[in-house]
Amino acid sequence: MSFIHVQHLCKRFYVQKKRKNGALLREKETVEALKDVSFQIEKGELIGYIGPNGAGKSTTVKILSGILTPDSGEAEVGGKVPWKNRKEYVQHIGVVFGQRMQLWWDVPILDSYSLLKDIYRIPEATYQKRLSELAEALNLGDLLRTPLRQMSLGQRMRAELCGSLLHQPEMLFLDEPTIGLDAVSKLALRDFLKWENREHRTTILLTTHDMEDIAALCPRVMVLGHGRKLYDGSLQDLLRHYDRTRTVEIRYGGDESRPDLPESVQMLKEGDGFRIIYEPEKLPTAELLNLLQQAGPIREMTVQPQNIDHLIADMYREMGL
Amino acid sequence: MKTYISVFRMRLRMETQYRGAILGGIVCQVFFGLILIAVYRALYAGKPQSLPLSHVTAYVWLQQAFFRMLLSSDAELMDKIRTGGIAYDLCRPVYLYGFYYMRIMAQKLMGSLLRAFPMLVFAALLPEGWGISLPASLPALLLSLTALLLGLCCVCAMENITMAFTMRTLDPRGFQAMLNLLMMILSGNILPLTLFPDSWQRVITLLPYAQMLDAPIRLYTGEYVLAQAPGVLLLQAGWTVLLILAGMMLWRRNQDRLIIQGG
Repeated sequence: MSFIHVQHLCKRFYVQKKRKNGALLREKETVEALKDVSFQIEKGELIGYIGPNGAGKSTTVKILSGILTPDSGEAEVGGKVPWKNRKEYVQHIGVVFGQRMQLWWDVPILDSYSLLKDIYRIPEATYQKRLSELAEALNLGDLLRTPLRQMSLGQRMRAELCGSLLHQPEMLFLDEPTIGLDAVSKLALRDFLKWENREHRTTILLTTHDMEDIAALCPRVMVLGHGRKLYDGSLQDLLRHYDRTRTVEIRYGGDESRPDLPESVQMLKEGDGFRIIYEPEKLPTAELLNLLQQAGPIREMTVQPQNIDHLIADMYREMGL
Repeated sequence: MKTYISVFRMRLRMETQYRGAILGGIVCQVFFGLILIAVYRALYAGKPQSLPLSHVTAYVWLQQAFFRMLLSSDAELMDKIRTGGIAYDLCRPVYLYGFYYMRIMAQKLMGSLLRAFPMLVFAALLPEGWGISLPASLPALLLSLTALLLGLCCVCAMENITMAFTMRTLDPRGFQAMLNLLMMILSGNILPLTLFPDSWQRVITLLPYAQMLDAPIRLYTGEYVLAQAPGVLLLQAGWTVLLILAGMMLWRRNQDRLIIQGG
């Protein structure tokens, strides 16, 4: 059987609605966070889990990390049911919630780590080896004696990640680990996750809204929307279906020049140039170039593929999310 | 066990980080102590009570010195529940009741010791009729320290129950304000329990709130004579065990129906 095995998972929440004027009782509304979600994950996979806000991603992570009990359905991770024998199960997993903190705010992070060492009963030698390995990979060297409260967001995220990996979990759940990070920190974090996955065959499930994260890390993605699994496969296959348009930015030598283009092409005036969005399927690029050249001497021109975020937005729209 | 000792040590250390808060707390508690004693002096000047004034001043100072022990003041822990940060604690291989018990205890112990020492020294230097008197006897002092320790265990058990309820209501503020009021009155912090009418005292001293500071203080001043001590300690221990069992049961029930707030 697969390392992670999820079958018909369902979870419902009750949400309080703002009461109407004069009403004493609050109205309750049921939200189905997960509706019959099933999937399998093999050991050592690195999987992206995407979907718009409120799709049920975090709920899945919380169920698989033993925090929440589902209403119905089955799940096993490494042969264990997460919400049964919680204490035994969580010894083998690591979790990072990007928007929460696990390390203690006012004390040096090294102290938080040594508490984690005792919590997970890590032998001293193993701990020292693992800590120096992680500190190097995450570039934490000088920060170990700094209290969390004095760190920047990027430093904090690296410190948090180190905390989640000290006990060398077989399975790592990452819930938006790159939220709020700058470009350098993001790249470093991605490199680190790749390294951890390769070096220790750690299975990683990553939820994020940053499509660059997914493109850089995850050969496989699952798309979740309104509590249902909508797609499971490679990112390339997913995008190919939606990646139909290209964008041309063009500037002419003469001010009066204005290309005459067919209906299917979208043209916007932008500064002293134009932004042209076309579908190569309908209007081949060679023909477009011909039309553009007829309008006058071209000073500069760039052709760009579609932005991955736009693609995902299109996809969510098409899936009715 | 190492885990629980470790979180205890961690919380102890954290408490020492807030030096400004300690100083502020001391100033505030000293101020309250002086005001309360001024009020009781005025009362005694008008109509002397059956209880000697020196017992009342000792009672007030000990209550003020260990004030931190009573009210829940681990804001971080409450915030964790309110905002969902508790999710992390739930995915640790620990027994959560014990984990939080140790955390609460460390905070209460360190928080009150750091304040109590300077305050009691200050109170001891005050003139007769204002300050704190010596304990009734050496055995009384030792018994009162034992009772203080039991009182600490009892108040931690109680706070852990509050925590368990907070996890259910998810917002502690309203209901905690009510519990705090009960705590302040029934533990003797506002008016020494020794000044309540005798018929009231018979009931109030049996409640868990009286086990926290009232019992140790009465042993200190000699209000409870040595022969009464075993009964007092037994009552304290009884409440502690009962509250711990109740808290453990609530925590177990909570885990099946948990909601994590904030996405």
